[in-house]
Amino acid sequence: MPKPRPPQEILPLTPPVFHILLALAGEERHGYGIMQDVAQQTDGALQLGPGTLYGCLKRMLAAGLVEESGERRDPALDDERRRYYRMTALGKRTVRAEAQRLAGAVTVAMAKLAGENA
Amino acid sequence: MTSESNVVGGFCRLYSALLYAYPPDFRRQYGRPMEQLFRDRCRDLARSSGRLRLLLFAVQMMSDWLSTVVREGAAALRPAGRHSGYRSSVTEWAGSILIYLFATTTLVQAYVIPTGSMEGNLLVGDHILVDRVTYSDPGPLGRHILPYRDVERGDIVALLYPEDIRETYVKRIIGLPGDRIHLKNGQVIRNGRRLVEPYVQHIAAFPDPYRDNFPQSPGIFTTPRGRDMLEHDVSNGEVIVPPGMLFALGDNRDNSLDSRYWGFVPRGYVVGKPLLVYWSYDAPTADLQEWTWHHAIDLAEHFLTRTRWKRTFLAPRSQAAEEIGGAQ
Repeated sequence: MPKPRPPQEILPLTPPVFHILLALAGEERHGYGIMQDVAQQTDGALQLGPGTLYGCLKRMLAAGLVEESGERRDPALDDERRRYYRMTALGKRTVRAEAQRLAGAVTVAMAKLAGENA
Repeated sequence: MTSESNVVGGFCRLYSALLYAYPPDFRRQYGRPMEQLFRDRCRDLARSSGRLRLLLFAVQMMSDWLSTVVREGAAALRPAGRHSGYRSSVTEWAGSILIYLFATTTLVQAYVIPTGSMEGNLLVGDHILVDRVTYSDPGPLGRHILPYRDVERGDIVALLYPEDIRETYVKRIIGLPGDRIHLKNGQVIRNGRRLVEPYVQHIAAFPDPYRDNFPQSPGIFTTPRGRDMLEHDVSNGEVIVPPGMLFALGDNRDNSLDSRYWGFVPRGYVVGKPLLVYWSYDAPTADLQEWTWHHAIDLAEHFLTRTRWKRTFLAPRSQAAEEIGGAQ
């Protein structure tokens, strides 16, 4: 396992990674739950395919942003056992730093574009 | 089972097969949850229906698959510990296009079956992948590495139509160089032995004494190469396959234009061996030979209902015929 790096070094996050972290902010979820939540966050603009989702999770696990929290059934879905993921403390710091970075970018953008629309 | 869950099942099977393109480690680790996720999304889709959404879903899944296969493949090749630059989707796409081009030109090639001459085994509208490696002689050294073998009697092969090599036909090999062949009442007699061919179907659309008693009573459909064969390679009422040539017939024996009509196939014209049917779609012959708007619309409308799901991933089998009777 590589040494977890400080948040600033992995910023900016790609949109899938950012939204996956947000999906895990409130609670732990399985793959399908993450995908649904990301779709909701983005008004359906970001539909994660299986390859993208699990590819990201693999790298996020390696970077220490998330961790697996065991396998169990989802009472709302069916029968099958699903693998759940939750955010680590490092993940929380990272997504917060990214949100701040984005907020800064939005402020700059607003200031620059305000004159144009007038 | 409803037709809906059939379709979902078909999609899921297809996806499970596609997972084999990922590196083994990744597949072992995430294959099962990926299948789960795919199935959940299929179910969502089945509830909402709508053809446009289905098309969108298919496009999305294919691009997800293609780009992540390349990304994970590249990640698996890189030495561990190094951070991957996974943001560069441009290089990923360039990579997948290169792999695709290499694979489709030298390893496998896709063809569609346009006519019913192999009916019984291959239907009109079967889209097949042809393995181009097996029958191409790689030279004395390559033989030890590549799965080369020569064409044998009973093999189904894809071949270039000798009269017009822009067309590709799929036929069964009946005669190798030196074989003596004739037909009697529709039965093939090779080197004096009658063949029992379980793969053949006889559904005569019209009477043709030439077709059933080849090479007697020359017919009207023979091409220049066919007439050349009748002129030079017949002795005692049998054709003798010359060196370097093959004799090929269709399984739909009474409704097939084959070596009886257009002569021998040069060995070099054998393109490869049909591997599997990757998609089977019930469409008229003309639509399969040329892409038209009509066909595209038909496809969008009837993709689910006219796709023969049961034929997906079916492999055409080579089968040797049993020989009856003593050699003469």
